[in-house]
Amino acid sequence: MELTASRRTQAEPPPDEKIEQGSSKTLPMVVKIVALGTIGGLAAALTPALLSQQRWAFLIAIWAIVGALVFVYATKRYIPAKYLLPGALFLVVFVVYPILMTFQLSTTNFGDGTRTDKETTIARIIGGSAQQVDGARQFGLSVGQAGTDYTFLLVDAETGDVFAGTADGLAPLDAGSVTVENGVVTEAEGYTLLTKSEINTLSQRDGPLDGFAVPTEGGVIKAQGFQAVELYTPLEYDQATDTITNTETGTTYTPVQVGDRKYFTSESGERLSNQSWGENIGFDNYVRAFTDPRISSDFVGIFLWTLAFAVLSVATTFFLGLLLATALNDDRMKGQKIYRSVLLLPYAIPGFISLLVWSGFYNTEFGLINDLTGLSINWFGDPFWAKVAIIGTNLWMGFPYMFLVCTGALQAIPGDLKEAASIDGASGFVNFRKITFPLLLVSVAPLLVSSFAFNFNNFNAIFLLTEGGPFSPANPTAGGTDILISYTYRLAFGSSAQQIGFASAISVILFVLTGVLAAVQFRATRALEDVN
Amino acid sequence: MAQNSPGKVTATVVSPAGGGPVQELRGDELKGARWWAEVGWRHIVGVVAIVYAVIPILYIISASLNPLGSVASTSIIPSQFSLVNFEALFSDPNRPFARWFLNTLIVAVVVVLGQVFFSALAAYAFSRFRFKGRRGGLLTLLLIQMFPQFLAAVALFQMFTQVGEVVPAIGLDTMAGYILLLLGGALGQVWLIKGFFDSVPKELDEAATIDGCGHAQVYFKIILPLVRPILAVTGLLSFVGVIGEYIMASIFLRETTVKTLAVGMYGIIEADRSNNLGVFAAAAVLTALPVILLFQYLQRFIVGGITSGAVKG
Amino acid sequence: MRRISRTLAITASVAIFAAACSSGDSGGDATDGDTGGGDATTEAPPVRGDEELVIWTDAVKLDAIQAVAAKFATDNDITVGVQAVTDTRTAFLTANAAGNGPDVVVGAHDWIGQLVQNGAIDPLQLSPSDIAGYAATAVQATTYEGQLYGLPYGVEAIALYCNTDYAPDTYASLDDVIAAGQAAVDAGSVEVQLSQPVGNDGDPYHMEPIYTSAGGYLFGQNADGTYNADDLGVGKPGSIEAAKKIGSLGESGSNVLRRSVSGDNSIALFTEGNAACLISGPWALADVRKADIPYSVQPIPGFAGMNPAVPFMGAQAFYVASNGQNKSFAQEFVTKGVNNVEAMTTLYEQANLVPALLAVRDGITDEDTLKFAAAADGGAPMPAIPAMAEVWTPLGQAYSAIVGGSDPETSITQAGDTIAAAIAAS
Repeated sequence: MELTASRRTQAEPPPDEKIEQGSSKTLPMVVKIVALGTIGGLAAALTPALLSQQRWAFLIAIWAIVGALVFVYATKRYIPAKYLLPGALFLVVFVVYPILMTFQLSTTNFGDGTRTDKETTIARIIGGSAQQVDGARQFGLSVGQAGTDYTFLLVDAETGDVFAGTADGLAPLDAGSVTVENGVVTEAEGYTLLTKSEINTLSQRDGPLDGFAVPTEGGVIKAQGFQAVELYTPLEYDQATDTITNTETGTTYTPVQVGDRKYFTSESGERLSNQSWGENIGFDNYVRAFTDPRISSDFVGIFLWTLAFAVLSVATTFFLGLLLATALNDDRMKGQKIYRSVLLLPYAIPGFISLLVWSGFYNTEFGLINDLTGLSINWFGDPFWAKVAIIGTNLWMGFPYMFLVCTGALQAIPGDLKEAASIDGASGFVNFRKITFPLLLVSVAPLLVSSFAFNFNNFNAIFLLTEGGPFSPANPTAGGTDILISYTYRLAFGSSAQQIGFASAISVILFVLTGVLAAVQFRATRALEDVN
Repeated sequence: MAQNSPGKVTATVVSPAGGGPVQELRGDELKGARWWAEVGWRHIVGVVAIVYAVIPILYIISASLNPLGSVASTSIIPSQFSLVNFEALFSDPNRPFARWFLNTLIVAVVVVLGQVFFSALAAYAFSRFRFKGRRGGLLTLLLIQMFPQFLAAVALFQMFTQVGEVVPAIGLDTMAGYILLLLGGALGQVWLIKGFFDSVPKELDEAATIDGCGHAQVYFKIILPLVRPILAVTGLLSFVGVIGEYIMASIFLRETTVKTLAVGMYGIIEADRSNNLGVFAAAAVLTALPVILLFQYLQRFIVGGITSGAVKG
Repeated sequence: MRRISRTLAITASVAIFAAACSSGDSGGDATDGDTGGGDATTEAPPVRGDEELVIWTDAVKLDAIQAVAAKFATDNDITVGVQAVTDTRTAFLTANAAGNGPDVVVGAHDWIGQLVQNGAIDPLQLSPSDIAGYAATAVQATTYEGQLYGLPYGVEAIALYCNTDYAPDTYASLDDVIAAGQAAVDAGSVEVQLSQPVGNDGDPYHMEPIYTSAGGYLFGQNADGTYNADDLGVGKPGSIEAAKKIGSLGESGSNVLRRSVSGDNSIALFTEGNAACLISGPWALADVRKADIPYSVQPIPGFAGMNPAVPFMGAQAFYVASNGQNKSFAQEFVTKGVNNVEAMTTLYEQANLVPALLAVRDGITDEDTLKFAAAADGGAPMPAIPAMAEVWTPLGQAYSAIVGGSDPETSITQAGDTIAAAIAAS
């Protein structure tokens, strides 16, 4: 590149200077040891917790990182690795690994209604059906501890009778052996009473009081806060046949596949519940992305618009930037600095602010744009105008960058080339077209490609302006300005049923697409030729 | 380090005004039609461009000063002046603007330092050493950078949930965790910096190596000081990127006290777009101001810096 | 080699030192916290999670929830954290499934279907006498598949605000309201007759009174008042009649409904005196009062000779998360801490919602609140069934198109087909 070449010649020769040897050897050593030691120490400190929680993958990952660090930094070899490793570790842990995880997710049906595993779902369905039947009792609850055993000390809210409840059942307690205040037992012989905080802690997941239930004739007594209620559920799950039976009506429910998930359904087709559970479904999501006619037609349309959006964003910003750079790049002009400073402003304002402010400008009746221009375009209501609005906003936000880039590139083009051309009699425009522009293109091409890639996935530009809309009554999932990434976002996090597994599959497809497109362009612009 | 006198080199390296042999005639020597044809039209283009660039900004400023602060009542020229919106920004404990500002600053500074430091390290390796997988590594880096992190948001969310159970200090809803997440882009500026390293003559390091310097000394004492301007530019680009990051922050920072400006301010305008416009605009002014000043201060570096091989916008 | 081993040796010793330091810390914590239930987790968690009860809500309700939570915290001598979370419902679903969600979440009753579908909330067991104290529609709204899932604290429905300079009366029909507004528009006093948000995406929530009055319904109701997802009213003859009515009020008709009025500006139009009337909820009251215009509030009347206008009634409720850390305190908070007159009064005073607990309503003298109570009692609970999630976008699009001048019958039928297909696919 021209810029590089001219710089080389301008750089000063190396200053002749002796670097002191002594101190400069110990300091790096100390830094290295302290850093490695700290990281090793952190890993060591985490190990007991990881061991006790049986998080093997986490444990292995941590020690693999420590191992890699020690391996690279404790020896004098692998010099490039010493420079690459720190950044690469972050990249692997927070970008590459999540990408792999995303791929893994894309082979599941994870989403709304399938967030839990089957066991939990069954427990929730049955637990959710438990109700207080007629004559169900309510109790004031205290929990007594004797050794390692826990007992519910219950005071019937109606009769004031006192009971001791365990997993074995309910037993009356002698009123003389307990003190009852405000409907709860506050002292009991033979028991240490737990405080509310202790009850809360022991009731946490997998704690000794989690799921604690006292069986009675009419059902079970369960804690609800610091009371207890008698509940009854007619549902029973049978593991052997994998069915849930309603013991009152005799109806049995078996898992039936609907789409990517299963529901417990009766023979007559009645669903017991809308709750389903997570499963691995292989490549079904990918099959669906390419074969479901609705989705694949959405997909093609959105893909084309994504391409158009990225190309137009780059093209408009580049040409406006180039125009301004060319116009303002003349030393005879006064106030160049001022122009440049002001034109930089849109780029300096954080993007989300610009987008949110601009989104207000497009209101048909009250927006700034129709106000100033006297138009009455319904910008966000019409797919075409919404697209124009998005490109227009992106132009405002992006042209200063291209302006800067082009200014820099123009100034780096050696003046003698132009001079030579004008001596040959080339006019201003021909000069520009034949000499300046091609040279400029060479140095900015990589920037254009990366700008394309950025816009290809420019979520903010869509989401903060139109949220993908307008939508047609016939198709609520794909809006008129949706690009692939905003469409994916709605699938994964939208307000109607979330399809995270499917969205992950689209993410993976999007990743591949982005990469292929970028590679193709780089090849075309041969921007990478000088990587060697 | 001062003996290296990099200042002079620096100035020549980044100055956007390259060789300027285009100095034929000064503008004031031209007259009438010729002036219009060669210089005047440039001013017209410039003024039109400035109007285009500035109108939305005026609108924000006007809205921030408008005490009514609603969409319909705001115009480009402020009709009323009042600082109530700014006062409201600092008086409502449910939107602790100052806190968000500080959070954003902390996140941005740490991430920027980390990103520039790690990128500069890696860029040095790519620029100076020849090793197996170098080209492949560079291209892979480029490719992975193009994958927006939030496409893996669900996976990241699950990951940080699990990490948070073991080390709550870097779990969800912590700035430390969010910083780590953003440092996934630690190598984001490698291309830009590498381009600059390439332009520093190799003879420099070779001479130093002959003098008995190790590679680390060459790097820290000779090369890094030389490329400070590009570090400033990449730092600025990364800074703007971090400040504008919305989507990951909205998923990871849910508690009011740990929010960044992007999430917090989106909350303000989302809650009631019409009536909170003034407060939002006031926040926007205060947020944009430091960035704008920083941009103006670093402007001359930016022009040279971006073109020297930038890959990320 | 000697060099390497020296480095390693020093590294190792620093490592051991660091490990010793931090394990010392964790030892200290363990003794403080006792009852550690085998949980060897080290440092005290920062920022969140250290409270013994964590509640999520949205920013608007934050103060009110904080007030009752603070009381509960003092009474039980525990720490309570209330967090304002953007997009509370989605954030809650994700976080709850991942096991790091709150213990209690506060939100609208129409979340219940989706929350239950994901097993994210637990049913509440309240005594029949407790339940009897709440407005019947509020209980109906928070009951799902026969179980009470949320404790309602406030009810809301949209009503009619009028600028009494232009529309001074209490109106028996919507036609009269529009006529009054039209007169003001003709006189050049205001720009908009009746400010009702439509926007480019439509707004089925605010359109519901007009839709129902003109003959439409969304889902049929079973005998017990629950909604039947199999009986979709969109696309049925009644809805077509309603669509035609909406079309006649739209931009190519009398221009009462317009897409340029949206949630972004509908309230501001009224408060700035540019609209004669406004269809909005109690959330607009603060702005309207602040605006210093003469106004009145009344339930939305139906069209003359047609059905009554039935707005959506929404209940705001407390839910116990199924996967919370502190279920005992969560259940206690919802079934006792909030379920009493004192707490409900605090909530009413701070959140300015019509109370769901009837005992609190008795003490209210504020006319506007009573009008909104009447509006809510005259409404129908917004359907909480998951099928409803498929309705909003297509129906909104249809409304927006119809208001913009598209053929009412085609648009509403198309929306009905889309919704029916989406329901069938799930």
